[in-house]
Amino acid sequence: MTAAPAAPAEPEDLNALDDEAFRLHVRRWIEANYPPELRHPPKRLHWKDNKVWYFKLAEKGWLCPGWPKEHGGMGLSPSKQIIFTEELERWGCTRTNDHGIVLLGPLIINYGTEEQKRFFLPKILSGEHIWCQGYSEPNAGSDLASLRTEAVEDGDHYVVNGQKIWTTLAMDANWIFLLVRTDKQAKKQEGISFLLVPMDTPGITVKPIINLELHDEFCEVFFDNVRVPKKNLVGRINKGWDMAKALLGFERIYLGSPRQSAYALKGLRALAEHTGAWEEPEFQDRYARLRLDLEDLKAFYGVYVAKLRRGETLGPDVSMLKIYQTELFQRITDAMLEIAGENAGLLGPIEGNRDLNPTGLYIQARPATIYGGSNEIQRNIVAKNVLGLPG
Amino acid sequence: MSEALAGTEAERAESIRMIRDSAAAVAPRGGDTRRVRALRFKDPGFDPAVLREMGALGWIGLRAPEAAGGAGLGMGEMCALAEELGAGLAPEPLIPSVLSATLLAAAEDRAALPRLLAGETYMPTAWQERPDTLEVPGSPDAPRRFIPQAAGAGGFLLPVREGGRIALYVLDAAGADLAIERTQDGGNYGTLRPALGEARRVADDVGAVLARALDEAALATAAYLLGVMERSFDLALNYLRTRQQFGRVIGSFQALQHRAADLRIQLGLTRASVESAAAALDAGAEGAVRRAAVSRAKARAAEASLLVTRQVIQLHGGIGYTDEYDAGLYLRKAMVLANQFGSAALHRRRFMKDAPEGAEE
Ligand SMILES: Cc1cc2nc3c(=O)[nH]c(=O)nc-3n(C[C@H](O)[C@H](O)[C@H](O)COP(=O)(O)OP(=O)(O)OC[C@H]3O[C@@H](n4cnc5c(N)ncnc54)[C@H](O)[C@@H]3O)c2cc1C
Repeated sequence: MTAAPAAPAEPEDLNALDDEAFRLHVRRWIEANYPPELRHPPKRLHWKDNKVWYFKLAEKGWLCPGWPKEHGGMGLSPSKQIIFTEELERWGCTRTNDHGIVLLGPLIINYGTEEQKRFFLPKILSGEHIWCQGYSEPNAGSDLASLRTEAVEDGDHYVVNGQKIWTTLAMDANWIFLLVRTDKQAKKQEGISFLLVPMDTPGITVKPIINLELHDEFCEVFFDNVRVPKKNLVGRINKGWDMAKALLGFERIYLGSPRQSAYALKGLRALAEHTGAWEEPEFQDRYARLRLDLEDLKAFYGVYVAKLRRGETLGPDVSMLKIYQTELFQRITDAMLEIAGENAGLLGPIEGNRDLNPTGLYIQARPATIYGGSNEIQRNIVAKNVLGLPG
Repeated sequence: MSEALAGTEAERAESIRMIRDSAAAVAPRGGDTRRVRALRFKDPGFDPAVLREMGALGWIGLRAPEAAGGAGLGMGEMCALAEELGAGLAPEPLIPSVLSATLLAAAEDRAALPRLLAGETYMPTAWQERPDTLEVPGSPDAPRRFIPQAAGAGGFLLPVREGGRIALYVLDAAGADLAIERTQDGGNYGTLRPALGEARRVADDVGAVLARALDEAALATAAYLLGVMERSFDLALNYLRTRQQFGRVIGSFQALQHRAADLRIQLGLTRASVESAAAALDAGAEGAVRRAAVSRAKARAAEASLLVTRQVIQLHGGIGYTDEYDAGLYLRKAMVLANQFGSAALHRRRFMKDAPEGAEE
């Protein structure tokens, strides 16, 4: 590896660079600043292990590529956001605890009061607040609107009781954004509110759940008479559902971003070169098909990023992106397993080489079609809300 | 054809039923996975006492001729047994043990065979030198790889090429140069660097026997995968019938009904493929016809088991992705076995080479 040349002065406006210049600029900075020991982590890292990267990005002002500049984001154009993501993937950069960046930030920017913007956004940008997402409950998964965790008014507080589940990285978070029931009489979607709660509030218990990667990544979160100041309500009381739905748009475009598939495809190629499958015409055809699927996905993704950029809200059609990306990710890892021979059974990477990790990726790809709204639910949305089919 | 295989159809069916029932001793039908979980991710990855029980039940010698102390039963019985063990996720290495018993019986080895048949010692055959192959180069000093549950081996059988023939050696595990890697299902693979100086030579040429035994192991693995798929699918069906969302059981949603129907078709195809292959072998199919039957079954089972086990996760939603829930156990077992004794791609290629001409109507 040749040493990265000293980084040139930061351009005034990254958007003004042409795409290739931008790519090189980003690449140079990543290569010079990314902690080498964190490249291609085989499992999602906890905060204590990924925060060094979070802080590096924060310090550079590169934490939130999609946020507008006036709120401390990069305000990147769609094509540049894609390039930015590609470069992070290319270097095998870890995901951070990014719920604040991807989900809560955009929500506050769109629906928060000025005071909430001033209080919360800088703390996401500085890494002081690490967020987790408390929506799902044991009996409210796909049917999220039936959630039962309740918040009852008591003076200038709400008192929260109930349970959330599958809360990713709740053990790392110091804040949780919650959907809670505030009106039990109303139609189920109309009695839900959106609350921001510090995790150190008395009455909150977090219990990690071991997932199929044998990793403690998601949790159960229990609420026992948890008192939350009323000023932590976002939007209006009983109007949380509509905001949460809008936020799902952000989650879906994030889950629809080509990064997982791009990373997996690189892994597939490395594996095929390792096993010799790369030399076989049948494999070449299969690979070409996956590669074209990825290229088209990138273009499709660009369409949605462009909408956001123009300030449009994402419609239900963004579900198509989530479906296609997550299933492409799975198809790529299926191919990995199929060509890996007996190595398809290994618990860890092949020969300890993190670039050759078919089983890790195969397992990681499984929940992509479950979280963020299962693909069955996304297909229902496309059929009903995009195509207008009856039922 | 051995004597045991000469009975009427009804006698065969009864023999197969008895084997299935006896399998419940080791792989309980109720689907209790506590035993399996307790053995995961530590050495040797299985319970030696259960392997002895399998020996006592005559399973390790199921295929070996009666003259050698075996039961001389057919692939019909072997596949029925493997299927039940798969349904129970039994981690004991029965299929590799049966393979070794076939070789030692052919070698007429009186020293190691009885202990192997009794399940007193696990002695896998270290034949494989690279991933995804059924070929046995028999290189005298190449590392032998992917030896299932090698952490529990008391010895190894080593096929070694000598001129045009494949001689067989027995190597004690004590002092052997063995590296262990863990597998997804909680078991392990061994890589052995053979030391022929320490080994005992027991046969001049097991090449043909080994090739046939590898095919039988491939078919038995397909049957084991069938059991894995069946039990995993049952889990999902139960869940579809009980889990409620939107005020209804999720099994009432047509999208999931269609998915379940598609998976059921794969199960039906796999069973038909495995059972017809076993019947063909028991009826005396030889050469290319025999290989094609095995390849058809293993190609189907490999692909279908991966499909079914991963869809079963999907049908469960979040709980399917927890280690605590059993759906993951089936997924991991399919990951380990789908490509053992040949991947779907290998078997598809072999099928095209070996399938009898004119078989396509
Ligand atoms: C790795 C992971 C991380 C997660 N992280 C978070 C998090 O941080 N915060 C959070 O709040 N939640 C999180 N979730 C929860 C996730 O959003 C839910 O798992 C998901 O919404 C599905 O709900 P469920 O698990 O209850 O499954 P269920 O809703 O019970 O679904 C079971 C099956 O039924 C299907 N199904 C249900 N309804 C229908 C229908 N009408 N038509 C057709 N099929 C249907 C589903 O698609 C699925 O296949 C996470 C989940 C996973 C797996």
